[in-house]
This record gives sequence, C-alpha cells and structure tokens, in this order.
Amino acid sequence: MEAMQRSYKAQKVIDRMAKKLNRQIAGSLAACVHCGMCTESCHYVLANPGDPTYAPAYKADRVRKIFKRHFDWTGRVIPWWVKADSVYTDEELEELKDIAFGKCTNCRRCSLNCPMGVDFAVVNRMTRGLLVHVGIMPKGVAVVSKDQWEIGNQMGVLKEDYLDTIQWMSEELVDTLGDPGAAIPIDKNGCAVMYTINPREVKYDPRTISDAAKIFYAAEESWTMPSEGWDMTNFGLFSGDDELGGAVARRVFEKAAEIRAKCVVMSECGHGYRSTRCEGQNWAGMDVQFEMESSVVTMLRYLRDGRIKVDRSKNTLPVTYHDSCNNARSCGMFEEPRELLGLVAADFREMYPNRAENYCCTGGGGAMSMSEYTPQRLKSAKVKADQLRATGAKVVVTSCHNCVDGLTDLIRHYKLDMKVTQLVNLVADALVVEKRVAVPVPKAVPVAALAGRTILVIDDEPDVRAFLTAVLEDNGAKVVTAADGDEGLALARKEKPDLVTLDISMPGKDGGKVFEAMRRDPDLRSIRVCVITGRPELRKLIYERPVPPPEGYLDKPVSEETLLTNVRKILEVAGDQKAH
Amino acid sequence: MSAEKKINDKLVKIVKDDITAMDVDAFVFYAAPDLQLGTGYGNAISVRGGPKIQDELRQFGTVETGTAVTTSGGSLKAKFVIHAVGPRFQEADTEGKLETVTQNALKEADAKGVESLAFPPMGSGFYGIPLDVSAKVMLAAIRDHLAGQTKLKEVLICARDTREMKPFQTVLETLS
Repeated sequence: MEAMQRSYKAQKVIDRMAKKLNRQIAGSLAACVHCGMCTESCHYVLANPGDPTYAPAYKADRVRKIFKRHFDWTGRVIPWWVKADSVYTDEELEELKDIAFGKCTNCRRCSLNCPMGVDFAVVNRMTRGLLVHVGIMPKGVAVVSKDQWEIGNQMGVLKEDYLDTIQWMSEELVDTLGDPGAAIPIDKNGCAVMYTINPREVKYDPRTISDAAKIFYAAEESWTMPSEGWDMTNFGLFSGDDELGGAVARRVFEKAAEIRAKCVVMSECGHGYRSTRCEGQNWAGMDVQFEMESSVVTMLRYLRDGRIKVDRSKNTLPVTYHDSCNNARSCGMFEEPRELLGLVAADFREMYPNRAENYCCTGGGGAMSMSEYTPQRLKSAKVKADQLRATGAKVVVTSCHNCVDGLTDLIRHYKLDMKVTQLVNLVADALVVEKRVAVPVPKAVPVAALAGRTILVIDDEPDVRAFLTAVLEDNGAKVVTAADGDEGLALARKEKPDLVTLDISMPGKDGGKVFEAMRRDPDLRSIRVCVITGRPELRKLIYERPVPPPEGYLDKPVSEETLLTNVRKILEVAGDQKAH
Repeated sequence: MSAEKKINDKLVKIVKDDITAMDVDAFVFYAAPDLQLGTGYGNAISVRGGPKIQDELRQFGTVETGTAVTTSGGSLKAKFVIHAVGPRFQEADTEGKLETVTQNALKEADAKGVESLAFPPMGSGFYGIPLDVSAKVMLAAIRDHLAGQTKLKEVLICARDTREMKPFQTVLETLS
C-alpha cells in the first residue's frame, strides 16, 4: 500500500494533521470503543435510520484510520487490527469534505452522550480545517471565508453600508422616541458597553439593531457600536481555520481596547458568542482586559436591576425556546434565556428534550451557506420539526442568527404554523419606555415611504404578485408586475424601475438568468435587485453567477414589515452605491 | 501606525487601510486564474468600481499563475486595478510564484505609468500564505524593482489590521 503514489494535497493534509493534533483531538481519535451510544444522539442518524454512514463513529473512523496509520503506535505495529490506513488521492479528500461539511453540523450532541469522552465535533472541525488548508471546501464556505478575511465580516458588508444602516436605524429611533439622546453612538470612547453584531442584522434584519438600541436607551446605558471590528461572528469556528478565527477575534478585541470599552456585548448569535467569548483568546493568542457577555445576559441584568421595565402582556402568543448548540451545549447558557423569556412573554411552553440535550436546528453555525447539502440537511431537520410541532407554540424563540435561518427554513419545509423570533425583539416589544424630558425633534411632514419610486415585481405566483403590489403601492410606490422572466426583462427595459423584486423559480427564464441578464446589460445593471424566493436551496442560481450580487434577499413567506424594511434599506441606504 | 523606508529615493510604506478605497494610481488585487472578481476584495471592487472592471477582464479569459493584467479602476478612486494571479492553498513553489507575480505586478504598474501603487499582503489570509513569507518575498521583490529604472515613486503595503502590519514592519526594518 505504501508504494501507492500520494497526491500533493493528500501529503499536505497529513503534514498539517501532525501540527493540529492536540490532546483533546488525539484522545477523541484514540478512545472510541464503537459502543454505538453516539448513534442515537445524532439527528442525521435519526432521520436516516438505514444509512450507517451518518453514524458519528463511522464518520470519525474516516479520519481515525489516518491518525492510526501516521500518528499512533498501534497503527504502525498492528495496522490490520486497528484498521489503520492512509489517504492517497484528491478524490478521497473530496469524500472527506462531503462527510465533514455535509454530514455533520458540529452540534456536539454525540460528544455529550459519549461514555468515553470522545468529542467528534473537535475531530470534524480539525478535518474541515485540514481540507480548507489545501483549498478543498464547499463553494459557500470559500465565499464566506474570503469575505470575512478581506472585508472583515462574513457577508462582505462594506463599511459605508454598515455605517449608513446604523445611521438609518438611529434616525428612525430618534424619530420614534422623540429624543435626540436615543441616537446610536459610533466609536464613543470609554463606554460601559461596545455592542457587536452579526452582519446578517445589517443586511437582512436591521430591526434587531434598532430593538437593541431601544433597550440600551431605556436602560440609560453608556454604550457604543464600533466602526470596525463589529462582526462578532467568526467563520473560523465553522470552517476549522484557526488562523481566520484568530484574525477575526483580534479585530474585535483590538477595537474594544482602542475605544476603552469595559464590556463587549454580543448580540444573540450562538457561534459568535462561543467563538468570541470562549475560543477567540486562544485563537488570537492574546488576553483581554474587558468583560464579554451575550446580550441575553445583558437584557436579563437590566430587568433584574430594574433598569428597564416590561409588560409581558404585549407578547401573548404561545412561545417555545430553542437552545442554540453553541450557546447551550458548548457554553452552558440554559437558564438565562428561559428566565428572560418568562419575564417578557405570557405563555411559555418548554420543548423536549431541551437545554444540553436539545436537537440542532440543522443550521449548524454556518451550514446554510452550503446549498449543495440542503436536501440532506432538510431531511435531517425532521427531528427538529417534530420537536417544534409537539410544543403547540406559535412562536419559536432562539438566541442565534444561524438558528433563526435554520428554523425558518425547516418550518417552511415541514409546513409548521410557526414563526421565529429572538429575545431582543420580544424584550423590545414588551418594553415600557418612560417619557424623558427631551429637546423636541422637528417633526417632518409624513410622506409615503416609497413615494416617487418605481418597483417591478417579477413572480409567477399571482397571490405573491398581488401581496407585494398591495404593500408597495400602499406605501406610495408605482408598481409594475411581470409573471415570468422574459416579460420581466422587457418591462425592466421599458420602465427603468428603481428596484426589481425577483422570484428565482419560474417557468421559462428563471430568476437566475434574468438576474445575470440584467447585470450584463449596460442599461439595466444599475437597477437594484431584491431576490424573494420560497426555495433558498436555489440561492446558488443567483450568488454563484460571475456578476455583482443582488442588493437584497428575502425568504418567502415575507411579512409586510420585513418587506418594507428591506425595500427601504435597499433604496435609501444602498442607493448611493449604485450611482455609477 | 505605519512604517516606511526610502529605497533609491522611492518610498516604501506599510499602512493600515481599506485597499479598494485608497486614493492611489493603482492597487493590486490578488486574483484567481479565471479573473472573476468574486467575493472579498473582489466584491468591494465590483460594488465600488462598477461592472466595467469585470467587463474589461473578459478580454483576458483565464490566465496562468504568475500573470498580472491591468484594468481601469471604474468608479474607484484608483485609476487602475492590477489583477495579479498568485499561488494558492499551499501549491508547490509558493515562494517562487509569489516572487514572480509580485514582479509582474510591478512591471504592469510601470507600463501604465503608475507613480503610487498599493499591494495587499499577497496570498495571505484566505489563500493561506504565512504573513512572514509574504512579507519576505514581496518586500525583496519591491526592493529589487525600485533599485532599477522605474516610474514608481511610492509603493504601499496596505494591511487590513495590525496582525498583518507587524510582519511587514519587521521585514521592512531589516531590509537592506
């Protein structure tokens, strides 16, 4: 066997493994007795009972054989007994990629249930890192990694877009509360709190930013948001790239030190919390002189200390709570969100199993970025769907942005009558803001938010066209509609709209082709595009095209509030970027 | 925070900035062989510079590692973008290829009459070249180029953060 030629990349993987093995990983690779306890813990196994290749022990054995062959004495002395074997070809590395990225979300439920203390997730994360090191990774992982390395955040949000969005949220809050003191500070020195967020909030869910700002205002907190180092998510945790993990954590830490913040508060994001608070200092190789906490803990502290008041009768729908794997299983945050939820919602219903034993949302700290694995991910989500259905709740609350997307996706797939929200939204909704004496803000004459805008709606579903048209027209826009791609392109050329809302899955010319045609047409390329689709697995039809990405993306079903927020953001914030 | 050194009366300087927003004659983009701008800095170039840059790249098709080609800067502050295809993900002879692509980017800059040029830490980060290797190879190539006949007056190494700056500052201090 040793006479076999090993590929260049396979040799690099083995060389790299020698550097990445630590006691925790080596122990997990050496200790497995194949008892099968992990099997019943894994949502992939439970959803695929006839397929042993999903079993954590089986998946670990694909890496274990390499470890045994090259790094463990048993593999050198009795290789046939311990099933030691090497890796030789790039095809074998591709198979490893499909296991490491496509058959495990690193949720660590199997780790918790292993009597031998085997932590398969650390083995799997190392495997991902070895593959990324030689450039073998799903395309979505490459896209997100490159954005975070080079732009500084996972979604490639440019600094001007980030600052414009914060300013926009700030102005709305000042207007709503009638107090200039409600403005969102940027880079204010010496504050008690530096608030860091997930770029998803800037791009798709800016309401979570204004809700958090409203809570800080009500608590009379000394706080700021940073102009840089604001992304507390860290794709290094997902991709296994420790260098990326260290670089991202360092950017947050150095910014907090620069503005002398006393505490870095992270918005509700499981993998952001774990990577920044628990792993970041190890990856970055630096100690920090400030506190770090989840906004869940911050909000609970405000309530316990009487700094904010809430009226839980404002949240009457039955709610349940989903434990993010990173927050709960990996960081032990179980009780704080439940206590907070009990204070702001009137009807809480527990999910079973819960806390450390809860099942993964299947979003897996970044798994949503890999569209090629969507079918198997959604199949494994049946376990979670059954759990959600059994609660009878109408709202599932979670303190993680990946979980929001993962749960939203499975709720749509399994047709559950539920919506997903976060604690920051419920706290803000229940907040009782006491009127302060403030310098009056001059009131602008109300103008329809979309007055003077022309919007082209391209969607083959009549109900969707009617809904989008009604909402947009009610807010002052002129709306033209098209039922397919060809008609849409013709109308785009004729009407030159300010914005196109674009469905992906349509008969004839699909949304991907329409989008690329628009971007390649000199007369149409500056028109802003918001993709609105009920099939997120088709995102690659848009995002993998060699043209600049769309300005917005929304999942169906889309609420009136979400639609308006995002359309206004695209037109008012991204608008300046499209002047060329 | 910066560090600088004069070589043959030309300035080499390490700065912390956003390279795609810099007001220089040209900056270097570490490109893939298919010359698709893609994500990361590529997305920033697309958004800030407009679609013209990707359109101009079509004439070159796919190129080999080591190649550098030039487009206009579109709506960017920079007049030109030099798209330099360097080694990626531990490929063989990383240092030799990195040296070649740095030299070719410098030649492209001279061919366009560029006086101020900004480089990123070539190949570091996503493509996995260690920062100390990138610093050693790039600064040696820049030194050798500036020692000869050139129109360049200023070469900047534009780092994203202090982690990237330090290895370049260290190498620059000892560069002779």
